[in-house]
Amino acid sequence: MFDSVEKIQTELAAKQYICSKNIATVVYLAEKLMKPVLVEGPAGVGKTDLAKVVAAATGRELIRLQCYEGLDEAKALYEWEYSKQLLYTQILKEKFTEIMQGATSLRDAADRVGASDSVFFSEKFIVPRPLMKAITNERPTLLLIDEVDKSDPEFEAFLLEVLSDFQVSVPEIGTIEAREIPLVFLTSNDAREMTDALKRRCLHLFIDFPDEELEVRILDAKIPGIDKRLAEEVVRVVQQLRQLDLKKSPSISETLDWARALTVMNASELDQELVNDTLNVVLKYEGDIKKAQGELGRLIQKKTAEKPTEEAPVAEEKAVEPAAKKAILH
Amino acid sequence: MQRKIVEFTNILRKSGVRVSVGESLDAFSALDSLDLDERTLFRDALRTTMIKRAEDIPTYDQLFDLYWSGFYDNLRGAFDEMGGDLSGQGIDLDQLMQQIKDMLESMDDGEVNLSDLAQALLTADLSRLEQMIRDAAENAGASNIENMLQIGFFSRRVQEQLGAEGAAQELRDLAEQMRQAGMSEADVQALMDVAGQLQEVLRKVVRNYMERELQKQNFDYIEKFRRESLLEKSFYNLSEEEVKQMREVVTRLAQRIKNVLSIRRRRLKRGKLDIHKTLRRNMSHGGIPFELTFKQRKKDRPKLVILCDVSSSVANVSRFMLQFVYSLQEAFTKIRAFVFVAELGEVTPIFKDCEITDAIEQALNGGDVINPYTRSNFGFAFHHFWQNHLAAIDRRTTVLILGDARNNYNDARAWCLRDIHNKAKNVVWLNPESPGAWGFGDSVMHRYLPYTDVAEECRNLRQLSKIVDRLLL
Repeated sequence: MFDSVEKIQTELAAKQYICSKNIATVVYLAEKLMKPVLVEGPAGVGKTDLAKVVAAATGRELIRLQCYEGLDEAKALYEWEYSKQLLYTQILKEKFTEIMQGATSLRDAADRVGASDSVFFSEKFIVPRPLMKAITNERPTLLLIDEVDKSDPEFEAFLLEVLSDFQVSVPEIGTIEAREIPLVFLTSNDAREMTDALKRRCLHLFIDFPDEELEVRILDAKIPGIDKRLAEEVVRVVQQLRQLDLKKSPSISETLDWARALTVMNASELDQELVNDTLNVVLKYEGDIKKAQGELGRLIQKKTAEKPTEEAPVAEEKAVEPAAKKAILH
Repeated sequence: MQRKIVEFTNILRKSGVRVSVGESLDAFSALDSLDLDERTLFRDALRTTMIKRAEDIPTYDQLFDLYWSGFYDNLRGAFDEMGGDLSGQGIDLDQLMQQIKDMLESMDDGEVNLSDLAQALLTADLSRLEQMIRDAAENAGASNIENMLQIGFFSRRVQEQLGAEGAAQELRDLAEQMRQAGMSEADVQALMDVAGQLQEVLRKVVRNYMERELQKQNFDYIEKFRRESLLEKSFYNLSEEEVKQMREVVTRLAQRIKNVLSIRRRRLKRGKLDIHKTLRRNMSHGGIPFELTFKQRKKDRPKLVILCDVSSSVANVSRFMLQFVYSLQEAFTKIRAFVFVAELGEVTPIFKDCEITDAIEQALNGGDVINPYTRSNFGFAFHHFWQNHLAAIDRRTTVLILGDARNNYNDARAWCLRDIHNKAKNVVWLNPESPGAWGFGDSVMHRYLPYTDVAEECRNLRQLSKIVDRLLL
């Protein structure tokens, strides 16, 4: 369990997940209030990772439910194992005749079979799916419902019931309640807006692309031994690429891929040729690459031109600051 | 605190952010379980519990600033600025304050009696000052402000409530007392200056407070007005800036239609029991049908042929129509786009190669296939289509024509449209002019009307999106 927001940040950082304070606050609140979290944001900013890391940091077992169009109760909650039931009836045929012996009428026979039919609708013949597993799990659990926006609206309605009560009713057996209420993370890429009812039950977390400083720290943590200057340059170019009007903006995972590629190539700084050759790691569409190549000269030149002048204003600012502070009445 | 959060919730609601009662209760319990020593923590906690849509986050941030923090920053800014001004005049405030403090200590307590406000001003106790201004504003009924013209009035009332005039007088009296206690003439003068400045600062921040209050109360109004009016605004008079904003609105509308569409499609999915597939699927259960499979009814996605008049009078309609249609590409099996003024040319390839906004701009400029600087001639364009592209139309094709049918007194050649109509599933004509004007002057709309299935006025986004929606049904 976490006892403060800062603790979360450090714990997650220890698991190599660098997060902003906003994210840490939401995770903290989710644990405190035991409310599901709906995580939204562009692809590749670490929504799924967040859940995985939180599970690892809190020692919860991660159970994942991947959503897709056409996902139904049977795939998400539980299913009767028909073939097994069928098999058992075949095997137990003799036993049946034994039971039936001496039955005087059809009704009598049916009653006798009926008396023991609960055998076939017991937990033995249930295949638990992720939701059921999360609810019946005896260990603390983190349930990750991934890409919930891909599921059908009907499924979402069904999910609501599970999320608000944490219990499942199986008509043949009865209601199964959660032994320990799991922590729930739902992720969405905004392919479809979720209903208000679902949103109301969740805390909402929007993860956007990180700012420059945070992204450098992420690179630092994820790629051991990366050259600090290279990391900064990579991040700066990526940040500028995000400003362009691209079909798919590069996200953190692309930045990481790129930085990894560059370290493998033993690059210590970026030049136009190198960027040109490796741009397909960052950008996934032909049109985007073309557009970026057009702007690339500007991006890299701007960077080198900025460098010398960059030092000066910082120094000046520092000089001004104490004076300004003094001026405040104290 | 509780009351302030409830009030903040109300302001969010007024601005069109949906916050349910349950959500504001969540906010309270979230705040209970946090140490609220940091502003960002507070902001994040409120945001995660109350704001559930990414689109609402900017609104929330702005309102949060207006409501919780922005004013304090402004206050500090004003004081910083004053400090800067004074040191520009060679007055060192710290030193002056120290001097006053020393002298006050050496004097009797009873002699100098400063009001709360004067003390807060003199010691620059900003959080106390903020609280005072807020209280005064509340007493003055500042939340009733409705328009710009009332800012001055309310500012004065808040200042009266604060006792600003009295405080300034007290400071001047203080300077006088200091003089008698033996302060140097230059320092006394400096203190007088400071007193004047403080009064000025107070006036400024109170005014700023009222401006914020007005913004806060009217936030929703401005925002909503902007959005609504864009939907309703006629395509004829859009500024360049509005065209840009409009583009975003179109993207959003298209996204919404897409969502609705996928739901509509899904509803159609379930059909009759498919015996073949069910048997096949249940082979493993010995042919006992445990799992059923249903036939799926498929709905034809429409084929679309668009004829866009790109002469300047209807360029904007064409622009947004094209954007709409191409944003919804996956809803159609095939789209072919033609542009015309007098000549007619196909621009489909441009949309394949370029990004959508670029492609539209190119197409509107004739896209190298036609000369856009001629006078509209619908008859000629239709004839050209009839001659060269009639094969593009089959019984599943919807033909969408955008134009005002102002033919510059040329031959209408309506028979071309008749043939198109005979082959196509539907002919839809969108005219930016209102039906009253059809057929008057050089408009030949009445000649074409018999050969259209739907002919509608389409002058703003609302009409446009309605039509697109119907096209897809």
